[in-house]
Amino acid sequence: MEFGWNEELEAFREEVRGFLREFDTPALRKELANRGEAAQLGPEQTRLREALEERGWVRMCWPEELGGECKSQWFQFVMTEEFAKREVPYGSGFGTMVGPAIHRFGTEAQREKYLPGIWANDITLCLGYSEPNAGTDLAALETLAVKDGDDWLINGQKLWTSAADTASHVWLACRTDPDAPKHRGISTFIVPMNTPGISVRPIMTMSGGRTNEVFFEDVRVPSDALIGEVNQGWYIIANALDHERVWIGAGGGLRHIFDRLMAHIREKRPELLEDDATRRRLVELELDLDVMEGLVLTNASIVASGDTPTMEASMSKIWTSELRYHISNVAMDLLGREGALTEEADGLAPLDGELERTYRASPIQRFGGGANEVQRDIIARRGLGLPRH
Amino acid sequence: MDTTLSETQRLLRDSLRDYLANEVPFDRIRDLEREGGSDRALWDYLQGAGFLTLPFAEAHGGEGGELTDTAVVLEELTRRACIIPFLETTASALAIERHAGEALADEVVRGVIGGAITIAPALQGATPSNGASPRVEGGALTGERRFVDYGAEVTHHLVEATEDGEPGLYLVDARGEGVATESLSTIARTPVAHCTYDAAPARRAGNADALRFLRNAGRALCAVQCVGNAQQALDMTVEYVGMRVQFGRPIGSFQAVQHHCANMATQTLGARFLTYRAVWRLDQGIATDRQTAKAKALASRAATEVTMQAHILFGGIGYTEEYDLHFFSRHGKERALAWGSADECLRLAADTIDEVQPWQ
Repeated sequence: MEFGWNEELEAFREEVRGFLREFDTPALRKELANRGEAAQLGPEQTRLREALEERGWVRMCWPEELGGECKSQWFQFVMTEEFAKREVPYGSGFGTMVGPAIHRFGTEAQREKYLPGIWANDITLCLGYSEPNAGTDLAALETLAVKDGDDWLINGQKLWTSAADTASHVWLACRTDPDAPKHRGISTFIVPMNTPGISVRPIMTMSGGRTNEVFFEDVRVPSDALIGEVNQGWYIIANALDHERVWIGAGGGLRHIFDRLMAHIREKRPELLEDDATRRRLVELELDLDVMEGLVLTNASIVASGDTPTMEASMSKIWTSELRYHISNVAMDLLGREGALTEEADGLAPLDGELERTYRASPIQRFGGGANEVQRDIIARRGLGLPRH
Repeated sequence: MDTTLSETQRLLRDSLRDYLANEVPFDRIRDLEREGGSDRALWDYLQGAGFLTLPFAEAHGGEGGELTDTAVVLEELTRRACIIPFLETTASALAIERHAGEALADEVVRGVIGGAITIAPALQGATPSNGASPRVEGGALTGERRFVDYGAEVTHHLVEATEDGEPGLYLVDARGEGVATESLSTIARTPVAHCTYDAAPARRAGNADALRFLRNAGRALCAVQCVGNAQQALDMTVEYVGMRVQFGRPIGSFQAVQHHCANMATQTLGARFLTYRAVWRLDQGIATDRQTAKAKALASRAATEVTMQAHILFGGIGYTEEYDLHFFSRHGKERALAWGSADECLRLAADTIDEVQPWQ
């Protein structure tokens, strides 16, 4: 056991901080503030992204065959943490999830065709998973891909496809054998979004962000759009999710909200700190943040030691997502009516409106990315070994 | 950063777990709880097998190991509901080793490692003491301390007292003149004493820094006991609900039961991280009172809530005296209060909220 950082990681942390001092410019801030949900990076983000790639930091912890340096996962963690502290997005999108899947399950030709573009961010992706009748029960998906000569013909509808309006490609899960058990009749495809027959309809969410539904009408794709074997899709999807879920819980943003809340109270509402009950509520939030940090670091520690976390990733996902609601809710309550002010309120809103924004955006963290009820199932069954229903 | 057990820690844990499973049956704990007193046979084993040497400096005959090693041992002892002054003696001797003069440190640590000395801290708790706070005059200590764990079982007390208005720690021979103990009955049924000192001969063993170290060491290690109680109750529950059949299937296959277990596991793991980090920071000399108090608050809650939820999932069998679950809910609740309850610790954290710094 060791709860500090070694010299090598401390030195790397300093390097990342220096990097961010250089690239975290007012121009980048302005671009980020106006970025919306776009998958395409603006010029400043592209500059930052290229500089990251140049330093080899994007894939430094990946295996050598993926162009990585096989470094300890802690390097990735430290970098993510420093970016989170300055709230600079990492800007790698779904490519970090789909890239390894293509590498592992694709052919040599598919690797050459897609991977350089994904790493350079010329190919940007959206995830074609959820459907009207396949949400938490993803394996119930119905979008059909039928072999037609050498091609595949795709018909169906995807839902909650964020970034479908800006991505160059969709990473698509389709049913290829309607008669097989539901987990064994799914295949994965990579499809350019400009393929004829694909149409995108926007859905605005209560967070202010945009997501989409995507319709596939006789969409014809060549045979090499299929990644992996036919009907191997569920395995590929699960594998890709495992690759991503590891870091999902890193909730640096929540620590920022707490810091800003403390700063706001100290500066504008110091009388609140005179109240015992308020101080106690703030300390309770601190405890929740401490637990979040603990779950995230425990999870990361297991990954760094070369093991696969069974339940720890689910624990940090649950904790972080519930805390996102809780921290914004408690903060709004503590501040009273000013807690409801939005950023449009003439500069009056505490934390520039971040509290109401976070509160509004919090539900998706809990039901999305594997609903928290499912995460608890995973903890109980995969982690604790309890029997299935 | 590495939250996983080291090879040494795994070996310590496994060997002690085997020994306790074979040699310390729960009926022995029942006897001890009924008759009072501590488990001398177990203490002799730990002494003989070298478990007492772990955290002390090699110069004093110790192993020079990490304090987290000792915490791993303490957690195993807790998971068998063992009744011995391991925390008390370890924390006291460490305070003396790190803060007293060299001669006393060498004498006390060698005494502990050799099995001749056991020590109970007698500090001012957050709960007010009714009697007069101990004072020292001319090497004689007079006053009272309540809630002294193992006060009647150990060879020495390490008493918080003032001398010329200055706080410090004083070593008192518990079996010598001027020391009287009266045992207090608690929910844990483990030994706790109300101690009265009447001009008891006392040796100065540390200043306010030593006192602060001892308070944080006791608090962090007590958090380990809290985590141990929670973990044991959780593991017993998972095993039981996986096996207990109702409505034609194991109750552990019901989602309602599974989600309780998932929440218990999450709460325990969160408390575990904060607790072991508090122990590690203490060892490195970088622990703050505030961090240690927050860790203890979380561990205290886990010890209470996880063990009580275990009872709810066990139903009738876990409610009986003959089953072993109550050891962990009773001991867990008592440890949740010792060295600062969740509320007492949170009060400390709330009163020092000015120390909160932005993330950096």
